[in-house]
Amino acid sequence: MRIVVCAKEVLDPDAVNNYALAGGLTIGADGKTLTQSAIPRLMNAYDEQAIEAALRLRDKGLSCKLAVVSAGSDPASILRQAAALGADETAHVQVDPAAVDLVAIAKLLAAYVTKSGGADLVLCGRQASDDDQGVVPALLGELLGMPVVTVARAMAMAGDAAIQVTRVTPDGDEVVEVALPCIVTISNELGTPRYPTTAQTIKARKMKPTAFTAEALGLSAAELAPRVVMTKQFVPTVQGQCEFLAGGSPAELAKALLDRLRADGALA
Amino acid sequence: MTDAVVVATWGTPVNGFPVDAEEVLTLAAKAAKGLGRPLHWLSLGDPGAGAGQVASRFGVASLDRIDDAKLASFSADAHVEALAQYARAEAPAAIFLAQSFDARLVAPRLAGRLNGAVVGNAVDAEIADGKLSITASAYGGDTRVVYQFQGSGLCVVTVSANAVSLGAPAAAGAAPAARTIPVDLSAVTERVKVVHKPQVLGKRLEEAQIIVSGGRGLGKKENYHHVEELAAALGGMAGASRPIVDDGWVDSSHQVGLTGRITRPALYIAAGISGASQHMAGCSAAKTIAAINTDKDAAIFRYARYGLVGDCVAILSELTKAAKGA
Repeated sequence: MRIVVCAKEVLDPDAVNNYALAGGLTIGADGKTLTQSAIPRLMNAYDEQAIEAALRLRDKGLSCKLAVVSAGSDPASILRQAAALGADETAHVQVDPAAVDLVAIAKLLAAYVTKSGGADLVLCGRQASDDDQGVVPALLGELLGMPVVTVARAMAMAGDAAIQVTRVTPDGDEVVEVALPCIVTISNELGTPRYPTTAQTIKARKMKPTAFTAEALGLSAAELAPRVVMTKQFVPTVQGQCEFLAGGSPAELAKALLDRLRADGALA
Repeated sequence: MTDAVVVATWGTPVNGFPVDAEEVLTLAAKAAKGLGRPLHWLSLGDPGAGAGQVASRFGVASLDRIDDAKLASFSADAHVEALAQYARAEAPAAIFLAQSFDARLVAPRLAGRLNGAVVGNAVDAEIADGKLSITASAYGGDTRVVYQFQGSGLCVVTVSANAVSLGAPAAAGAAPAARTIPVDLSAVTERVKVVHKPQVLGKRLEEAQIIVSGGRGLGKKENYHHVEELAAALGGMAGASRPIVDDGWVDSSHQVGLTGRITRPALYIAAGISGASQHMAGCSAAKTIAAINTDKDAAIFRYARYGLVGDCVAILSELTKAAKGA
C-alpha cells in the first residue's frame, strides 16, 4: 500500500506570534510579506503530525511505502526531515506559491499523486499554520475522487481496504470508517510527533527529492492561473481598554473583580 | 443564470433560524450590494420559523429551499452534491457559508467539484474595482490577509461568524420570494460511515454564558481544579488554552481557540493565559474578558476589560471563596 503525505514549509508560527505579542510584527513595502527575516522556516506542524500518523500505522504492522511531497519554491529542508523520519521517497513539486492559489496547489498535488503511482491513503495536516485555510485536502478529495475525513486524532486499519478514523468534533470524538483510497487530515490532538535519530538524519542526506515541474505533471499555465490573489496583508490592531484593578492581596483583588463584574451586570 | 450572491445554511435552527445566519448575511449582503447582484438564501432543509423575517431585514430577494431525506442529518457527500446541483442550475456569483466544523469540509469540496475558487476564515467582505475581496484571518489571528477573487466562476466563502459584528438590525423589508429547488440525490451514498457518534456530555462550551479558562500560568496540572471550582461557583464552564491541552493537563473538549472551541460567552475569565492570537480567536467575541496574569505586559490584557496582576492560583482560589460567599 502507498501512503502520500503532503507537507508545506511555513514561517514558524510561534516566532510570528512572539513578534505579534511584543507588538513588533510588521509588513514590508509590498504590503503583503512579513518583514521579520529572523523567523525560521519549518515544516507545518500539522503536516509533521500527518507523517507521524503514517509512521504509527507502519509501527502497527502495516506494510506500506511512504511518499512525502511538498509544493513550493525550496522545500529541501523539510523533505530531508521527512526522509529522516522514514519516508521512502520524497518529491518536490516546483511552483512559486505567490504566483498560484490553493486550487492550483491542489491540482499540482493531485497530478503528482496520479503520476507517481497513485495512493491508497493521502494524509495532510488539518491546515497550514500560515494561511490557516485548510482547503487543500478537501480540494484534493474532489480532484482525485476520494472521500475526505477531517481533523483526525487517531487512525487504525479496518481490514485491508478500509480505515477507521477518530475525529475531534465540537461534540466530542466521532469514529468513522471509510474505504480506501481516501484522504485524512490530521490534527494536533494526535500527540507529539517523534524526532528522527542522528543515524536516520545522516542517512537521509543521501535521499534526493524527485523534482516535478507543472509541465511534467501535465498542467498548463492556464489551468494554474490563480482565481484568488492576495492583495494585502496587515497586522490587526487591538483596542486595549483594560482597567487594572488595584489591591494588595489576592483576596482584595478577587473582591474588587467580583464587585466590578456585578456592577456591570456581567455577573448576577 | 441569476449571478446572485447566495447564503447557504443547514442544520437545526436555534431561536427560529440557523446559527450564525445573521453574521453570514451581513457579509453576503455587503458583497451583493457592492456587486449590484440580488441576495438569495438557500436552506438545505427547514430554515426555521423566523428565517423569513431575518431574510427580509437583509434584503434577501429569494428564500430558496432544498428538501431531501438525505439532507435530514449532516452528510458531506449529500450536502456537497445538493449545493453543486443548485450552483449548476442557478449559476450564482458567490456562495457564503458559516464556517462550522462541517462547512470547512463542504466549502472546498464544492469549489473543487465546480472548478470554483474558495476562501475561508472570512472576517469581512468588500468590493473593489468590481471584484469581490475577502479579508481573512491568518497566522492564528496574528495577521489579516485580503484575497481578491479574479476571473469568472463560482466563489465560495466561509465566514468566521464570531469575528463579524452585527450592525443595528435593519427594519424588515419586503418578504422574500419562496422557491423550492429540485435536486436529485438518488445517486449519492455517503462514503464515510459513522461507527460511533460523539457522546455529548451536557452543555457545550460554545453555549456557555460564563467560561473560566486556565493556561500554563497555573504552573502544574494539579492546579487546574482551581479553574473548575471557580467555573462551578459561577455556574459556568471550564476552558483551557491549547498548550495545557497538548501537555495533557485536560482533555481537548476544553480547548478554546482557533483549532478548538470558538466561544462567545457573556463573561470570560482567563487565568494564566498569555493571550496568543490562536487562543483569542476562540474567545475575543466574549462580552467581558477578565484576565489574571503575573506579567502586566501579557497580550491578554490588550483584550481584557479588567486586569488582575498576580498569581492566578491564589486569586482563583479567593475568587471561588468570594463567589460562594455571596
